[in-house]
Amino acid sequence: MLPALLVLIAVVLYPIGRSIVLSFQRVEAKGGRFEYTWTWLDNYRALFRDEAVSIALRNSLYFTALDVLATVGIALTVALLLNHRFGRAGIFRIVLLIPWALAPVANGVLWKWILHGNYGVLNAVLKELGLIDTYVNWLGEPSLALRMMLLADVWKSVPFIALLLLAGLQNIPGYLYRAAKLDGATLLQQFRFVTLPALRTPIAIAVVLQSIWSFKVFDLIFVLTKGGPGDGTLMLNFLAYRVTFNFLDFGYGAAIANLIFGIMFVLAIIFIRLIKPGAPRSRTA
Amino acid sequence: MSSPRILRSSISRRGMLQGTALAGAGLATTRLPFGRGASAATNLSVLSPLAPDPAPPGVAEFSEEAFAAWLTENDAAVNYEAVAWPQLHDKMATNFASGSYVHDVIYMSGWVPEFSEFLTPIGDLISPELKADLPDSSFSTVTWDGGVYGVVFTLSLLTLYYNTEHLQNAGISAPPATWDELKGYAKELTKDGQYGWVLNYGAPEGIGGTASYWMTFLQQAGGKMYGKDGLPVFNDAPGVDALQLMIDLMPYTDPSSISNVGIVDATNVLKAGTASMMMNWPFMWNEAQNEETSLIVGKLGSAILPAGPAGSASIDGTDAWTITRNSPNPELAMKLIEFYLSKDVQKRQVLDTGWLPIRLSALQDSEVQTAASNAAVVLDQATHPYESFVTPDYNAVTQTLGTEVQKALQGEKTAAEALKDASDAVTEIVNKRLNG
Repeated sequence: MLPALLVLIAVVLYPIGRSIVLSFQRVEAKGGRFEYTWTWLDNYRALFRDEAVSIALRNSLYFTALDVLATVGIALTVALLLNHRFGRAGIFRIVLLIPWALAPVANGVLWKWILHGNYGVLNAVLKELGLIDTYVNWLGEPSLALRMMLLADVWKSVPFIALLLLAGLQNIPGYLYRAAKLDGATLLQQFRFVTLPALRTPIAIAVVLQSIWSFKVFDLIFVLTKGGPGDGTLMLNFLAYRVTFNFLDFGYGAAIANLIFGIMFVLAIIFIRLIKPGAPRSRTA
Repeated sequence: MSSPRILRSSISRRGMLQGTALAGAGLATTRLPFGRGASAATNLSVLSPLAPDPAPPGVAEFSEEAFAAWLTENDAAVNYEAVAWPQLHDKMATNFASGSYVHDVIYMSGWVPEFSEFLTPIGDLISPELKADLPDSSFSTVTWDGGVYGVVFTLSLLTLYYNTEHLQNAGISAPPATWDELKGYAKELTKDGQYGWVLNYGAPEGIGGTASYWMTFLQQAGGKMYGKDGLPVFNDAPGVDALQLMIDLMPYTDPSSISNVGIVDATNVLKAGTASMMMNWPFMWNEAQNEETSLIVGKLGSAILPAGPAGSASIDGTDAWTITRNSPNPELAMKLIEFYLSKDVQKRQVLDTGWLPIRLSALQDSEVQTAASNAAVVLDQATHPYESFVTPDYNAVTQTLGTEVQKALQGEKTAAEALKDASDAVTEIVNKRLNG
């Protein structure tokens, strides 16, 4: 138990603790070293005054909400298709996994070229199809850039969530559907009264997991927009990076990071409660 | 056919662990003699930009033989870490924050005041011969708090580059010399999928970012960034006029400009012949003559930047080599820097990469003047102001200022609103530094 505890302390508890301590300090470079001064709540007060933090928080919440809705919705559709007898061929699952297997930065670079205003394939295809007259600068306008980033993230996230939901679908006993058919239930009624209730826990897990991943998105912003134009695609994780490494304001960067940590911690607790097996029911209850 | 039982018994977990341990021990012991015996060379580690940004021999393709000879003469080995320009600042910030020795020689561009605490003052290490052949003004951006922390290695000012064929076809006989001509020509040249102007407004911060382009126009309007007390004074008529010029150019600016992060992105648009004018660094000249990547070979012109109410002005790229404070080999590092700045290497730098030399003797070389005809333009530009306004909080200031400029360019704010907000934010940043 002790070795595991030591690893936990070194890899998890110490960095978190250090970050919390750092958020109460101001760090300055002097003579090639860093000097630490206690500023207590100054960094957290600055959080509430900083317009960039409110923009980043707003963008993060917007991105997370839409990303979760889109990813879980599309993934459920894909899982239903894969669970159909025509969708059970292994090739579909292999192809499905390709976006998920891409490294996040590679995914960002791929979409950077797809969405390029002058040379991107998206513009070329849409123009060929007659859907646009002139090339669109997909990353040149804040709200459009945010939606394009959503597209890139949903494309990458759907495979894993689809497989998660597929596992849930395959655990639904077939006799429930037979019974429903015998009772005259339509396909839609079967989906609503058999499939969805049985998938409640996997969907909840998918929502929480995707929320965590969406909220802390970084790679896409770093590669595609660097938070621009005009901070229009700025999100909390990227803001923490910018403050820490662009501005060398380690204390304030730690405060922003701890804000993200607090939100993630709450989501993680929800996740753990969802996956915790319940107490076995008594046979006589 | 082998029995699966025999195969299974020959591969066990214990066996794999033992084998791995033996292999590792063997690797470690066999490396030691090679490490000691094969090379007693002193290792130097250099952080550099990737070409086509200004890069040294060993990263960019020039002076390879001279470099190999230098390594042999000095019994040295140089390990380069070359990264894309936009990643440089954050990489060195992370390295400095670690407190560990990572590099001996580091490229700087406007960051000397910010990182001066981590650099070795080298004013006394520069040889008198080299010092005498460098312009005095080249030391201004590498000097902070009385110490000289680096050596600039290229004369790098923004100047105007234009497609001569586009101007000729439009009946324009000379490049724009004033702001009004710049706006008028940009409008005339915008047609049929071609734009009059292109730049990279995607990255707000740093030299070559959105804020620095506005600083160029600010000086052309007669303005400046800071007063004698160090606080911002740019929220005035010249500041607003400078930003308004950029806004006025937007309808004739290639739409990708707002999302172009690096100058290379904008350069590619000009080289593709889909934009007519831009401001760029001296490397543009060689880039445009590359038949493999340019559609405007022989069609590029160069001129000093158009004059605003106060005349022409530019900014300095401040590309410099510095030595880190925790380098174990500062003398050898300085020798490497002097090699980069030697006459022959400086000459090959411009002939092979397009980045002008900083040595006065190299600039006056007839072969250099013939091959780099934009050198005369850059020298002419250098007779006008080219302040870069670098301070320890340059990154934070330009990030904030550049973001407001981006909002104005997108029509989210007027020039006056954007500058007022920028001035308030920059005042807070500067006060935090000045007052502790």
